[in-house]
Amino acid sequence: MKKLIFKPAGLLLFILVFTVSCTSDDREEVVQELPPSGAYTEGMFILNEGGFGSSNATVSFLDSDREVYGSIFSGVNNRGLGDVAQSMGFYGERAYIAVNNSSTIEVVNRNTFESIATTTAMIVNPRYIEFSGNKGYITNWGDPNDVSDDYVAVLNLATNLVETKIPVPEGPEKILFHNEKLYVAHKGGYGYGNTITVIDVITQLVTSTIAVADVPSGMVITNGSLYVLCSGKAPFTQDETVAELFKINTATNTIEASLTFPIGVHPSFLELNNNILYYTIEGAVFAAAINDFQLPTSPLFQPSSNGLEILYGFKVTNSTIYIADAKDYASNGEVFIYNINGALQQQFSVAIIPNSFYFNN
Amino acid sequence: MKLVLCLLFFGLSSNFVLYSQTGPVNVLGEVLLSNTRLRDSVYTNNVLVLNDSVLRINQASLTNLLNFNSTVYLKENGLGMVSSPSFRGTTASQTAVLWNGININSQTTGQTDFNTINTRGFNSIEVTPGGGSVANGSGAIGGSINLVNKLTYDTGFTNQLFLNYGEYNTYGIDYQTQYASKKTSITLGVSRNGSDNDYPYPETDQINQNGQYHNTNLSLASGYKLDKNNTIHIFANIYKGRRNFSVPTPNALQTKYTDLNTRSLVEWESIIGDVVSNLKVAMTTEEYEFFANIDNDFFTFGNVESFIANYKLEYSFSHKMLLSLGGNYTHNSGRGSDIQSESRNLAAATLSFKHEVSASFLYEIGLRQETNEDFGNPLLYSAGIRYKVSPFYQLKLNTSKNFRIPTYNDLYWSGLGDPNLKPETSYQAEMSHIFSHKKASLSITGYFNQVTDLLRYIPGTDGIFRPENTNDVHIYGLESIFSYEKKIANHSITVNATYAYTVSENKETEKQLIYVPFHKFTAAAGYRYKKVSTYYQYLNNGEVFTTTDNTTANILDSYMVANLGAEYALGNEGNYKIGVQLLNLWNEAYESVLNRPLPGRNINFYLNANL
Repeated sequence: MKKLIFKPAGLLLFILVFTVSCTSDDREEVVQELPPSGAYTEGMFILNEGGFGSSNATVSFLDSDREVYGSIFSGVNNRGLGDVAQSMGFYGERAYIAVNNSSTIEVVNRNTFESIATTTAMIVNPRYIEFSGNKGYITNWGDPNDVSDDYVAVLNLATNLVETKIPVPEGPEKILFHNEKLYVAHKGGYGYGNTITVIDVITQLVTSTIAVADVPSGMVITNGSLYVLCSGKAPFTQDETVAELFKINTATNTIEASLTFPIGVHPSFLELNNNILYYTIEGAVFAAAINDFQLPTSPLFQPSSNGLEILYGFKVTNSTIYIADAKDYASNGEVFIYNINGALQQQFSVAIIPNSFYFNN
Repeated sequence: MKLVLCLLFFGLSSNFVLYSQTGPVNVLGEVLLSNTRLRDSVYTNNVLVLNDSVLRINQASLTNLLNFNSTVYLKENGLGMVSSPSFRGTTASQTAVLWNGININSQTTGQTDFNTINTRGFNSIEVTPGGGSVANGSGAIGGSINLVNKLTYDTGFTNQLFLNYGEYNTYGIDYQTQYASKKTSITLGVSRNGSDNDYPYPETDQINQNGQYHNTNLSLASGYKLDKNNTIHIFANIYKGRRNFSVPTPNALQTKYTDLNTRSLVEWESIIGDVVSNLKVAMTTEEYEFFANIDNDFFTFGNVESFIANYKLEYSFSHKMLLSLGGNYTHNSGRGSDIQSESRNLAAATLSFKHEVSASFLYEIGLRQETNEDFGNPLLYSAGIRYKVSPFYQLKLNTSKNFRIPTYNDLYWSGLGDPNLKPETSYQAEMSHIFSHKKASLSITGYFNQVTDLLRYIPGTDGIFRPENTNDVHIYGLESIFSYEKKIANHSITVNATYAYTVSENKETEKQLIYVPFHKFTAAAGYRYKKVSTYYQYLNNGEVFTTTDNTTANILDSYMVANLGAEYALGNEGNYKIGVQLLNLWNEAYESVLNRPLPGRNINFYLNANL
C-alpha cells in the first residue's frame, strides 16, 4: 500500500481513476416528436415561464388525445424560447409569445411552431398582446423601476416591427379589444396601479381613464360590460387595501356596479364561462353569476385537496377549468384539469413555472 | 467528441508523469500537518493553504482559485459575475469568509460574492472544511476561508510587480512594496483588474454582452515590534468594484452593480511569560448600488457598518497544555432601499483547552457562548482528537455544533422579513486519515453534517417569497486531498489533487439540494527544469440538479476544464518571470449556472518581477 501510492505507477493510477471518468451527458432531452396529427392543431399550449434569469422558458402541448408534449419551441426551432415567457396571443395562422425578461416577441406558426420572426426593437418587458385590424398591441413595462416609460407597442403584423409606442401610466398588464377600443389594466410594474386606460385604436390615443381599485389583475368583456377584478394591495406592501370587482359600461366607460371583498382577502384572475365569473383566492376557486352579481361566501372547490401548492395559472373555457401549479418555483409544475363543478379530470406534470393556457382550434 | 477529449487528456497526463520524474512549481499548498508549539488554532480539522506561488498562477478572482485548487464547488453567473460557493454541500451563506481572521460575509445577504475578492492582495488563503463557529462565529458551517496577509521582518526594501493581459482585453496589475526592518514591517499593495469580458459563447454565435467589469484593491499590512513583549499589527483593505451584469438573453435590459468594501484592523499582542494577550479591533463597511437599468439613474442600495472587538487570553502550562479565554463583540448597523435603519449587537465568550498528552496524542475542546438580543443564547462547541499512529499515518476526529444567524435581509426586508427567525444550527462530525511519506501526503476525510432550521425563501399561497426556517438537511461525504513533490537534480515535479463526494439531502423530500454536485475533482501537475516551468490544471465538476424535484430534464451536465501554463525565469537570479497560459485548453463548452456559458479557450500572458 505504502509503496504503491507513491511510486509513479501509483500516481498514474490515481490520475487515471479520477480523470477518465470525464463528463456526463445525463441531461434528458424532453423534446418530443410531433403529435400523431402532424401539427400542433387541436390542442392546448401551456406556457412554462421558467426561472427569472434562467432563460429556460418552454411551451408544452396537450393534444386532443390528452397526450402531453414538452419543449415544443426548442424542439422545432433548435434554440431556447428565452427568459420568462409571460403570455401568448393568436392572430391568423400565427402565435405571438411575449418573452418578458428577454424583451422579445417570438412569432411562430401556430400549427407547426416554426419561428417566423423575433421582434426586439422597441420591446422592453412585454406583458400581454391583443389584436385589432392588422396590428398587434403589446403592453410593455419598460424599465420596471421607471414609472414614466411604460407604453403599448403597436406591432405591424405584416413586418413584425413595432411602428409606434402609445405612452400609458405605469404597469400596463392585461389588454382587451372591444368596439374599436383597447382596455388596458394598470396592475402596476414594481409599483401598484389602480386604473383602466381606454385607447382608441383609430387615433391610437388614450381617450379616457377609468379609476378602479388597486391592482386590477383580471378583465373580461361580455355583452358590452367590462368586468375588472382588483386584487387590492397585499399586506406585505405595508399599505394593504381592499379588493373589488367592478362592472363597467363600455359605452360610457363608467362604473355601473362594484362589489367589495372583505378586508384581508386578495382574489386573483378573472375568467368567464356561461355568464359565470370565476376567480381564485389563495388557491381556492370561486364562482359568481353575472346576473345576480353577488360575491359567493364559499369556494366552488379547493384544488389544494388534490395536491395543488401554488395556483399560478387559471383558465376557464368550454366548461372546463384549467389550473397551473408553480409548486416551489424551482421544480417542474403541474396542470390540473377540472370540470365546471370542480371534479378533477386530468393531472399532469409540465415544466418550470407553468403560467397560462392557450387553445389552438 | 467527449471520448476523444478523455483520451487526449489521459494520453497527456500519463506522458507527463512518465517523462517528468521530478520537481515542483508549487501548484497547490500542502496540508498543514503539525506545529511544534501549541497555538490557539484548531488541530483536529484540516487546513489547505494556498500560498503565493499558487495565487500567482491562478486568475485574480477567489472563484477561479478555489475552483481549481480546492474541494469547494462554485457557481458563477458567467465569468466575473455573481459567484457563490457550496462548501461540503451547504448553501452559499454557510461558508465563512474571513479577512485576517475577521468575518467579512455580507451582513445583508449572509454571503460573500467570490468574484468580489481579489486574491492578489493576499499572501496566502487558508481553506478549512467543516464547522468552525467556535472560532469564526456565525456562518462557519460548511467551512471557512481565511484571506491572510503575512508579515515578514528584516527583509529590507522589496517590490513585486505582476502584470497580466489576455483575450477580451482582460488585464491585471498588482504592485506590492514592502519595507521590513528588524522591528517594523510595512507592505502596501495596489491591484487593479478588469475585462471587456465579451467572450463568445462556445458552440453558438452569441457573445457575452454587458459583462465588462473592473475593480481596484488597496491593501496595507504592517507590524511594529514595540518591545520584546509587545507587537502591534495594522491591516487595511479597500475594494471598489464596478460590474455590468451580463444579460441572460441579448435583448434584456442591461444592469450594473457597484460595490465598495473597506476593512481595517488593529491587533495588539503581548507575550509575558506563559501568557499571551491578544486584542483585535476592527471596522468594516460594505455598500452596494444596483442599477436595474444601466441607462437610468435609479438604483437600489444597501450598506452596513460593523464594529468588531475580539479579546483572547492564552495561558500555556508547560508547552503541552493551552487554555484560552476570549470575548467577542460585534455591532452592525445597516440600512438600504428596502431596509429601515437597523442595528444589532452580538456578543460571545469563548473558552478552549488543548492538551498534547504525548507526542502522538492530542485533544482539544472549545466552547462558545453566544448572547444577543434576537436569537437566544446558543452554546456552541467543538471537540477533537489527533492521534499520530505512526510517522506514516495519523487519525483525526472532530465534532462540533455551529450556527448561522439570519441576515439583515431575512430579518428586516420591508414587509417580507421576519424578525422572529431562528438561527440555523449544524451538528457535525468528521474523521480524517492522513498518510504522509517524505514529500507526499494523502488525506481522506469522511464527515456528517446535520443542519436544522435551514433558512430558505418559500412562496406563500399569494406567490410571495418570504424567509422561513424550513427543513433539515443531512449532508455526508468524503474529501480527499493529495500532494506530492519530488526533486532530482535540476528537475522538480509537483502533483496535487482534490476530490469531493457530497450527498446533501433535504430530509423532507429526500432530494439532493440544487447546485450541489455529487463529485468534484481537481488535479494540478507542475514541472520545472532550470528556468522553465510548466503546469497543468484540471477541474471536473459533476452534474448538478437545477430543480428541487431533481428531474433529469433540468440537470446541468458535468464538465471538465483544463488550463495549461508555462513560464520562463529571466535575469541572473530569476527575478523576472514571463508566462503564458492557455485557459480552457480543450475549449470545453460549459456553464456552472444554467444558461450562463463560460469562455472557451483563451490565452493570457503575465510578467512577474521581484525588484
